[in-house]
Amino acid sequence: MLKFAISRIIAAIPTLFIVSVSVFFLIRLIPGDPASLMLGDLADAASLADLRSRLGLDQSIPVQFTIWLGNILSGDFGRSITSQQEVLPLILGRLRVSAEIVLIAVLLASVIAVPAGMIAAWRQNSLTDVALVSIATVLLSIPAFWMGLLLLLLFVLKLGWLPLVGYVSISQDFTQGLLYIILPVATLLLHEIGVIMRMARASTLEVMQLDYITHARAKGLSEAAVMWRHAFKNAFGPTWTLIGIVLGNLLGGIAVIETVFAIPGLGRLLVEAIFARDYPVIQGCLLMIATIYVLVNLVVDLLYPVFDPKVNAQ
Amino acid sequence: MPDNAFFGSEINRNPGQERPGYISGELGMKRIVLSAMMLGLLSPQAMAQTITASIAQDVRSTNPGVNRDDTTDGVVLHMVEGLVGYREDGSVGPLLAQSVDMSADGLTYTFKLRTGITFHNGETFSAENVLWNWTRYMDPATEWRCLAEFDGRNGLKVESVTAPDAQTIVMTINQPSAVFLDALARTDCGMAGILHYASVNEDGTWNQPIGTGPYKFGTWKRGEYFELEAFSDYVTPAGSAPDGYVGAKKPLAEKVRFYVISDPETIKAGLLSGTVDLAAVASTDVPEFAANPDFNVADSVDASKHTLSLQVADPLLSKVEMRQAIAAALDLPTLVTQVTNGYGRPNNSAIFPQSMYYSDVQKQAFAHDLDKARELLAKAGYKGDPITIIANKRPTTPSFETAVVAQAMLQAAGINATIEVMEWGTQLSRYFSGNYQMMAFSYSSRFDPALSFEQFSGPKDTTSGKVWNNPEALKLIHEGKAVSDPARRQAIFDELHTLLLHDVPMIIYSNGVNDIVSNKRLQGVVSWQSKLRLWEVAKQ
Repeated sequence: MLKFAISRIIAAIPTLFIVSVSVFFLIRLIPGDPASLMLGDLADAASLADLRSRLGLDQSIPVQFTIWLGNILSGDFGRSITSQQEVLPLILGRLRVSAEIVLIAVLLASVIAVPAGMIAAWRQNSLTDVALVSIATVLLSIPAFWMGLLLLLLFVLKLGWLPLVGYVSISQDFTQGLLYIILPVATLLLHEIGVIMRMARASTLEVMQLDYITHARAKGLSEAAVMWRHAFKNAFGPTWTLIGIVLGNLLGGIAVIETVFAIPGLGRLLVEAIFARDYPVIQGCLLMIATIYVLVNLVVDLLYPVFDPKVNAQ
Repeated sequence: MPDNAFFGSEINRNPGQERPGYISGELGMKRIVLSAMMLGLLSPQAMAQTITASIAQDVRSTNPGVNRDDTTDGVVLHMVEGLVGYREDGSVGPLLAQSVDMSADGLTYTFKLRTGITFHNGETFSAENVLWNWTRYMDPATEWRCLAEFDGRNGLKVESVTAPDAQTIVMTINQPSAVFLDALARTDCGMAGILHYASVNEDGTWNQPIGTGPYKFGTWKRGEYFELEAFSDYVTPAGSAPDGYVGAKKPLAEKVRFYVISDPETIKAGLLSGTVDLAAVASTDVPEFAANPDFNVADSVDASKHTLSLQVADPLLSKVEMRQAIAAALDLPTLVTQVTNGYGRPNNSAIFPQSMYYSDVQKQAFAHDLDKARELLAKAGYKGDPITIIANKRPTTPSFETAVVAQAMLQAAGINATIEVMEWGTQLSRYFSGNYQMMAFSYSSRFDPALSFEQFSGPKDTTSGKVWNNPEALKLIHEGKAVSDPARRQAIFDELHTLLLHDVPMIIYSNGVNDIVSNKRLQGVVSWQSKLRLWEVAKQ
């Protein structure tokens, strides 16, 4: 297991290097220059030259890349062009906010959607199945930003139960933190329930048609025992992989929800950085997101044998 | 509207129906809400003394005139003041100065400072502070964005700054300039704000602003909100009402909090829920708020310019008849009505309507005449070549809408207009490189007419982004920057406007419109130049 983990981490190094090189050069291929964006239409030639020099943009791109890579290897992600904050603490702070929302949402979605998907498969073509599949389809079809606005309309404007904007970490103050993240978590939760439930249902249906399930039933096992001891473990593998992908995807990609609820998360930071051509922040965010993907997939792979005994981490 | 800014519903609960430690459904939610209120999270009294506003993006830094944008200026200039500031008509008036005198040769400015002014840390303001600040601003290490305006690179150079006594500052410049005071008052220069030494750390790095403004630095939660606290020892400049950045400036609320909310729908929800007391809203939302008895709408026209810029170096558009044909093909009053939802006013001048220089000549406009347009097209030898209008979809400017309406009008005159939409950063890059034919482009505010004309005029060989390169116009602009006599300046600007209407290097069609919606608990909200000014604003 340890050998597997180490080999996966080593294998991730070239991946992250390729990501960093690609990001560095691709972002510079996009027209637009941070100095002119910062100065806007008020820029005069002298001010523009000053700012470009201060930001190091007057140097050649290979020189900029060499400096950046050297700094990254020494743990220095640079400073944001727009806010002048150090990039690494900035990204980690924003990641913590996004992670709090995403982890809670995905955990709750999994707890609800996996049993619901299995029940739907167990009762295939029954009213329960149709109802659950319909709910999943509806939840999946509603764009997250629209769902967010609907929740906002109901719980903030109509009922007045929840705050509109702001963020407090639940680790600092559980009650306040809960108030602020209920709506964004609910928005994500509702959407991801649909995604996970459909996968759980499909993979359970597949397993339920296998001979060993018929054999288990023929032995006289109860339906609960068949479903939990035999069907679940084999059916959960694909769903677990999907949960990992969803998690990796959401940790860096809930910019829309963060915008609707004015939450200072990683996705919003990245989008704002792209519009401002804030190269150090863009590079740092994308490198962080790539790292998250690698780590989440590693954790998923390492935990796979726990759910599916056929898979050996060695 | 509820007293509590966050929670709109009254809380009724019956403790007897609950099981201790059990939270469920609506009852559970109400317990959470009640807990929050008991914790003092949002006490109605505290919130009543806090004015909440929304800003579309976070403040970049608190260092005036260094790392800034328009939003940053709007917040920072609540804390920091300069020697002079803009009045509402775009002229410059004394702020920390009591008076400003210019010598007969136009080279020496004497600023008499106001007395009894203190910084936010209680220290007394004097000429010594001005000298320290000027030295700091002129040090390249400060990275003041307006350094080039004063060190001679753009012509004007401050030769010396002295303090004959504690209440007097004398500045000497290298050449007569009508825009020296304007440059000092510019908001993007941070008003050359006067700070206390303790605003910077011992190593010279920036700490936080300790200024003389009506509000002082409170809390900054990056990405969430910026909070100011009233400066109780603030001494307001003379005046019975706010006048731009001068006039009465008393802080009437205990705190002011600027929430960072970029989504227009969330801003709207913020206003309706009472979370946000005032915000700039999209013109499409104005009718709804105007009809709502809980809200006031304050609107104003600012000095920003919405334009259709034409590339005079383009082979097709280098012919003046072609550019004149485009102007004649456009029904600009209709275009303005369409793109501003009826709230904008047509203005083809580079001078904004409130300016003292907005004369009858400046009111002269491009005439919509399709027959004349077709005649001019024939003279230009136009054969139906495509003309591309570049636009962006930023919500803050009507670029895309303008391109769509203009395209239809140009096509009606027989001009083969197409639209290319691009992201703002890309469009700005194309603007600065001059790589375009037509562009729906908006310029930020410049109050002084000479600076407003200069914003888009200059030699193309050295500044490819400049739109208008007529040598006669450039000479007039240069003269307008040097001459201080208002009558002579008026004549220069009128001549420039006439030349602009003939040359058509760009079609200025209107100024920006600022729609500020505030709930009726606020008194004193005035819309001006897209800046949220929250002094002299009270909350009941």
